[in-house]
This record gives sequence, structure tokens and C-alpha cells, in this order.
Amino acid sequence: MNLPLEEALQQQSNKQQLQYEAYKSRKRSLLYNRYFILGILAILIIWSWVGTKFHIMDLFSGFSNMAIFIFQDLLPPDFTTIPSFVGPILETLYMSYVGLLFSVTFSLFFGLMAAKNTTVHPAVAIVSRSFIAFLRSIPAMVWGILLVAAIGLGPLAGTLALGLSGIGILGKAFADLLEEIDENQVNAVRATGANWYQVIGQAVWPQFKPGFVGWSLYKMDLNIREASVLGVVGAGGIGFALEGSISLFQYQQASVGILAIFALILVVEFITAKLREKII
Amino acid sequence: MTDIFLETRNLKKVYPDGTEALKNITLTFNKGELVSIIGPSGAGKSTFLRSINRLNQPSSGEVIFQNEQITNVKGKKLLLVRRQIGMIFQDFNLIKRSTTVRNVLHGRLGYMSSLKGAFGRFSEEDVKEALAILRRVGLEDHAFKRADELSGGQQQRVGIARAIAQKPALILADEPIASLDPSSSSNVMNYLKTISEEDGITTIVNLHQVDVAKRFASRIIGIKAGEVVFDGKPNELTEQRINEIYDQRGLVNELTS
Repeated sequence: MNLPLEEALQQQSNKQQLQYEAYKSRKRSLLYNRYFILGILAILIIWSWVGTKFHIMDLFSGFSNMAIFIFQDLLPPDFTTIPSFVGPILETLYMSYVGLLFSVTFSLFFGLMAAKNTTVHPAVAIVSRSFIAFLRSIPAMVWGILLVAAIGLGPLAGTLALGLSGIGILGKAFADLLEEIDENQVNAVRATGANWYQVIGQAVWPQFKPGFVGWSLYKMDLNIREASVLGVVGAGGIGFALEGSISLFQYQQASVGILAIFALILVVEFITAKLREKII
Repeated sequence: MTDIFLETRNLKKVYPDGTEALKNITLTFNKGELVSIIGPSGAGKSTFLRSINRLNQPSSGEVIFQNEQITNVKGKKLLLVRRQIGMIFQDFNLIKRSTTVRNVLHGRLGYMSSLKGAFGRFSEEDVKEALAILRRVGLEDHAFKRADELSGGQQQRVGIARAIAQKPALILADEPIASLDPSSSSNVMNYLKTISEEDGITTIVNLHQVDVAKRFASRIIGIKAGEVVFDGKPNELTEQRINEIYDQRGLVNELTS
């Protein structure tokens, strides 16, 4: 009578021991994994350290050089040159805004086609996704260089560069937003006998709108920054004027341009934040 | 020809993962009756309803609606069929960010042109009709609130109003009270019954609650593992038959002994 019970208890404790061993070995392999990843990170850090010829001392000597540059050359800003920056600032705004309208329009189309739940055909979705990914893989700056070469200096090249790279970003954002909407709400409208256009307008759009507004306004913020830099490759805007002053060693004039960019970004971010509150 | 309103013949549905949700469902429904389908979760009740308005495509079998074979209709024809079938869902599935009256107006989309529908240019007549329907379900004061500001019971009444706006010949209600408290539940069921009787709309309601089914339906169908195991009047649904449907014999014997 006693024997089976003892046997059972023995088996029980054996099983516990085995499970504990399993627990320990799992823990050990997790630990090894962690050492392995840390090791790889360390190797990468050392490699890039050597590769970029980085020295801590450079930080200090560079800092003093920076300070000399800022206080001797950049300051004080030559505020008499403000009028010459008004045109370029406005141009930057136009480029950003027109570029945004361009990318929003095309992103709506490609986003709808790329999202699995709103596309007209799975094959169209794949083509659309790939096209968006292609546009995204090329930065606005590179588009700028290409377009300046293709259609010449000026804001048109910059605007198109912003528009094209914008489709890459907004198209993907829109498609992802569309794929996240509540399909049950959509099915309910579909069940009333509504066709594709009606389902998009009445069931998809109300759910998509907050994300659509948020992303579009965020892209406007990004466009202002990118448009400021695009001028450096000749694609118009404030960057073009800034590049001009710098290459003529007119640093006090350039510092006004930098302050102007700073002010422009602050103003636009303030306005987009207010709009976002209003619309959403 | 016959006065059979809706008929399914050997309806089968196999999901891609191999689950056999429906096995040979053959049923007929008459004009104007309120039928309740009961059965355990996963028995295939939802799949059956969705096979009728083709939110699900049945694997084989036929659906005959008002003497018309609708199992494989496509495109414009499918939209015309769906327009005649109102559907009510467990989670209401209203467009949460749109107003209540807009949600009711969605029932009119099947009658409008693509563009007018897409941009929500509803006619004066449709808007007045939608407001009248809201009055009928006791929600006229909530017409301009966002749908997600309403309580669960109110949202389900908007769901019913959306279905009525379609001027349907058939209403499919998929567990309409499963997310509601008891008093909202009987309220919603009362509206469904009233509308079915007053407008002569055939109504098929999936239910979990046997007592509710017995109280409101004129006919009850029991489905278990994708097959019809009971079809009769509420008073024919004895304790024993219920146990068979829900497979609780053991449990009930234990409780009664």
C-alpha cells in the first residue's frame, strides 16, 4: 500500500528536478544570447570609432574653434539684411505647401490602392506598395540634386523633390492607417448595399480622418525643414539664400538667415498644432 | 410560385483553416416570421447569417431569396440584394465618429448614386425619413450626437434604425443583445419584434439566451456544430431538447440529482 505512494512522490520530485534543470538551461542560453549581442555592439562601436578617426580631444579643440567662429564671424547678426530674406522665406513656405498638396493628393490615391482592405485588387496593392517604397528610399535631398539637374535651378525643383519624397512617407503612413481601421464598422456599411465609393466615403473616411490630418500637418512641419536645406543644392528657398551668403563669407548675414529659419519653423509648428486641435 | 420567402439548400462553409462551420444547412423561412437561432458559441450561427447577405461566401449549397438564386450574384446585383437585407451586429458596428442620424442615413446608400453617397449628400426626403425612424426607436433627441456618445442599448437601437432605413424585406440580427444588460436587452428585442410585426419584415435573430428566444420568437432553430438539431415552436423546445443543443446533459443531471 505504501509503495505506490512513495513511488508517485519520487516521480513527482524527479519531474520537478527535471523542470528546474530546463528552467536553468533556458536561463543560461538567454544569458549567452545577451553576452553575444553586447559583444557585437562593442565590436561595432570600436570599428566605427577607428573608422571615423574619432578622438575625444577633437571635441575640445573643435569646441574652441566653434566658439571662435560663432563669436567672431557669426555674431552679431547683421539685421539690416532682413529684407533680402523675406522673399526666400516666403518661397520656402510656398515650396513646402505646394509640395505638401502634391504629396497628399497622390498619397491618398496610392495609399488607398496599397492598403489591403481598400485596394481594388491584391496585385494593385503590391504594385502600389512597391512604388511608395521606391519613392521613400530616395531622400528629398537626392531628388533635389536630380531635379535641379533635370529642370534647372529654382523652387520648382525643390517643390517636386518635396512632393515626390512626401509620397514615399505619406503614402506608407496612409496605407498603414487604412489597414488599422475597424473592419467591422466597414462591413456594417457594406451590408447595407453600399458600393466601393460609398463605403470609402462613409465608413472608411470618418475613421481615417484624424490620422490623415495628423500626418499631413506633421509632413508640413517636416517640409519646412527639408525645404530650408534643399536650397543648398540649388532647389530654391531660404537655403539657397543662406548658401549664397556663406559662400561669400558673409557670415553675419548668414546668421540672420539661420534665425529666420528658426523663426519660420516655430511659427509653422505653432500653426499646425493649433490646426490639429481644431480639426481632430 | 411558392410562398417560401427565403430558403437555404445544403449550405456548407469550410474556412481556409479547415474548420467546417456549416454542414448541409437546409432551411426555409416564411414571410414575416421572427425566427430565433440558438446554439453554443462556434456552432455556426454567425456564419449562417453572413452567408445569406454574403459577407461570407458559402463553400457550396444555395441561398434562394424571394425566388431568386443569390448564392453567386456579383457586383451591382449583389448590392441590390444586400439593400433588401438589413443587418444588426453584436457590437453595433456603427461608424463611431459619425452622428447618429448619419449612421441611420447609411441605410439609404444602396438607393443613391456613387458620388452622392460617397460625399453624404442625402436628400431632404431621406433625412426626414431617417429622423422619423429615430423617433420610432425613441432616439430623436440624440440625432446629432456622435454615435459613440450613446449607451450600448441606444447604439443598438441606432443599428436597428439603420436597418429599417434600408426598407428591407429581411433583417438579420447577429447576437444583437450579447453586449447589453438585461433591461436594454428586452428593450432592443421588443423593438425588433414590433418592427417585424408592424412592417411584416422577416427577422432572423441569433441568440445565446434561450429564455429570450422563447419569449420573442415565433419559431426556434437550434444549431450545433454546423447542423440543424432543432426546428419548431417555442413550446416544443423542452429542457431535454435544450440540453441536447447545448450538450449539457451531464451538468444538468448533476444539478437535478
